Amino acid sequence: MIDFGALDAAFALLSSSWTAWVFVLPGLIIGLFFGAMPGISITMAMAIFLPMTLYMDFLPAIIFLTAIYTGAGFGGSVPAVLMNIPGTSSALATTFDGYPMARQGRHNEALGLALTASVLGCLASYILLLVLIAPVSHVVLKMGPLELFVIAVWGLLLLGSLSGNSLPRGLLAGVFGVLLGTIGMNTAGFIRGTMGVPWLLDGIPTIPAMMGLLAASQLLGLINTSYLIEDEGLRKISMPKILSGVKMAVKEPKIIIRGTLIGVIVGSIPGVGSSISNLLSYSEAQRTSDDGESFGKGNPKGVIAAEAANSSSEGGAMATMLALGIPGGGATAILLAAFAMHNIVGGPSFIAQNKDIVYAIIFSNFAQAMLLFFVGLGFVYLAGYVVRVPLRFLIPSVLVVSVFGSYAIDGSASGPITLAVFSVLGWAMVRYDYPVAATVVGLLLGRLLEGNLLRSYQVSGGKLSYALERPGALFILALLVLSIVLSVISRARKKRRLSVRDAAES
Amino acid sequence: MKSTLTRRHMLKLASTSAAALIAAPSMLRADANYPSRPINVIVPFKAGGYNDRLARAFAPFLQEKLGQPVNIINKGGAGALLGHSYFLQQPDDGYTILCTSAAPYLPLNVLLQDAPFKVSDFQMINLPSQDYTLLATSKDSGITSIDDVIARLKADNTSLSIGLQPASADLVNLMLLMDMSGISREGLRLVTFDGGGPARNAVAGNVVDIALVGGQGFLPLVEQITPLLTFDTEVQDGWGGKLITDLGGADAAFVYGSQRGWAVHSSMMTSNPDVYAKITTAIEAASKDPATIEALTSQQLATQWRGPEASNKALADTSKVMAQYVDLLKGA
Repeated sequence: MIDFGALDAAFALLSSSWTAWVFVLPGLIIGLFFGAMPGISITMAMAIFLPMTLYMDFLPAIIFLTAIYTGAGFGGSVPAVLMNIPGTSSALATTFDGYPMARQGRHNEALGLALTASVLGCLASYILLLVLIAPVSHVVLKMGPLELFVIAVWGLLLLGSLSGNSLPRGLLAGVFGVLLGTIGMNTAGFIRGTMGVPWLLDGIPTIPAMMGLLAASQLLGLINTSYLIEDEGLRKISMPKILSGVKMAVKEPKIIIRGTLIGVIVGSIPGVGSSISNLLSYSEAQRTSDDGESFGKGNPKGVIAAEAANSSSEGGAMATMLALGIPGGGATAILLAAFAMHNIVGGPSFIAQNKDIVYAIIFSNFAQAMLLFFVGLGFVYLAGYVVRVPLRFLIPSVLVVSVFGSYAIDGSASGPITLAVFSVLGWAMVRYDYPVAATVVGLLLGRLLEGNLLRSYQVSGGKLSYALERPGALFILALLVLSIVLSVISRARKKRRLSVRDAAES
Repeated sequence: MKSTLTRRHMLKLASTSAAALIAAPSMLRADANYPSRPINVIVPFKAGGYNDRLARAFAPFLQEKLGQPVNIINKGGAGALLGHSYFLQQPDDGYTILCTSAAPYLPLNVLLQDAPFKVSDFQMINLPSQDYTLLATSKDSGITSIDDVIARLKADNTSLSIGLQPASADLVNLMLLMDMSGISREGLRLVTFDGGGPARNAVAGNVVDIALVGGQGFLPLVEQITPLLTFDTEVQDGWGGKLITDLGGADAAFVYGSQRGWAVHSSMMTSNPDVYAKITTAIEAASKDPATIEALTSQQLATQWRGPEASNKALADTSKVMAQYVDLLKGA
């Protein structure tokens, strides 16, 4: 599966010229910075720097852009941990445990965990890519609407774990989110719930809505607190503690490997990508862990699961782009545009004829992932100082940055308006004890669920027997059921073990 | 009290006249020395699509001819409705021009989305890219020809699933083909996708049996699909299979797909005719420049000069046909 001749040529390409390397560091820093700004997506960071690459050679240009991609993929996790704002939609699950950890004064560890899981996930995904680029690309095109629908349902399982104390409230909040997600023009061309507002035709802008629901509501609730971390002794920025987070992450290879697999597979499916994979991985980790009930209250495993999956999605998306010439999402669309600028068309023939370039891109991404670890350590160390800023300064500044960020998404007032509406909504939901995260998950999955359910109905002509013709969908469904059954069994066994022990002790 | 009032009065007067003094010559200058500042190109789609690529690839040549930098601004959303409306809100002074898929989006905005404008509010300068519908199937589908497709649909019109975009020229072409072949439109298994890309991926992966999508976008997938029918009068991009005129004769009914390129405000023709002439000349010169042709052709982008007259006529013709089929376009 690996062409060693091309491998050799790839090394020659990378070592022949320093220009291929000089853009890695600036690319990572740009990515980290933009990714950490709420509202600036990975795509936008790459689009801003795309014109610059016109004046570079092909390989340095692609390496520069993929360095931004890698940096921004992790950058989004920093505000997710420190301020409950996912800098990008793919860092949503990172907020679930990362932010509680930060509030408990374990921000150093959380950032170390997130960084390490990201770096390992990214590395592992490119190793998989090196071996699997051809088979992955075959599977991707076979993913039909039914398969995608089952994946979306899998994502919905997360609602159960986000519900906190009251399952009905969690489900209600989740269904509300799904309904919000169906606003706009659906896949068959019908327009629902836009109230005549043309800005809603493409649906509610998810990133401003997410920022409003998660962050603004949270910040408004903190208004009577003076610091993010109440205990002054814990408000420290400590490299040893960040490194202890690194160690914790390395000790959970199972979660990282599972997250990577989910990330690569889901990331390679066009139009799904990292914003779903981090949810799936989190939900799987929660269901299979012994201490599943402490997820959402600051369990390090939650952070690892989310970060391993969202950063490994990059490898999956790159596989689809390189092998098929199809952009899986915005970021890879920009990369394809950069290909086009250098008169190179992605796709099967590109891989067949330019294996050396493909391998060179993959190898430079190994290097980027490793470099990210060191750059990231410095970045999170500095970013950690946020916890020392009194909230009376922090809250207004974060809100202002959020407003700017939400404006930047489309360059219109629809972003800030969405942010404002959802901030109020989020605050009210928190006030009356409904889990906002469930609504966000519903909102993210709503479109995917509805569009693919409708298409499954259209393709099958309404016949249920169609499912039997789709072994892929049945396989995913079987995995899903298996995962639920296993978690139920293991929980029951644990309960029995505990009760036996209690009986023996008493 | 009285003195302050007078002073305020004086100040106001002075500032107004100063503003007028500053503004007046600059307004004059704007006409005579156009362009005196950078020019914005509005692309009413997100980054990465055909129009975005066209605008970005063409911009360096256009700015050379105009002598001012050209910025690309993406204003995507709502089937280009938001970007088109935004463009019309900008002054018609030539500092904002539009690069769009005029057809089908301008007629669709008007026919289906209650757009706050008419198609004739836009003056086409050049629409070099004229896409066509390609009916294709997966290499693995077992379908070998368009006659095979028609025979299967004639026997049972639910026998094949058909991938396409709702409210598209492709949908109109499918219905015209069904009418021509005597196949009932009712009950066809239409599978609607949110964009051309997903529809093409679905047929390439054999998720749907056949798909009708803009042909140019199929080029990267050439190894996964079998082209069956091109909705045009001549062979395009080297696709095999049949032409619609092979099936329905020289006057076979069909519509063209996306017509993409450059446009300005129609009002500019009367308010700023000199600027309009300058822009037209610059776009014509840039389109015909051999360097442009070489750069754009290698990126599979169109650069042919059709000119305002032919471009506006092509758009008007397509708008008329789409208006005839408006019922088809409303919700599949």
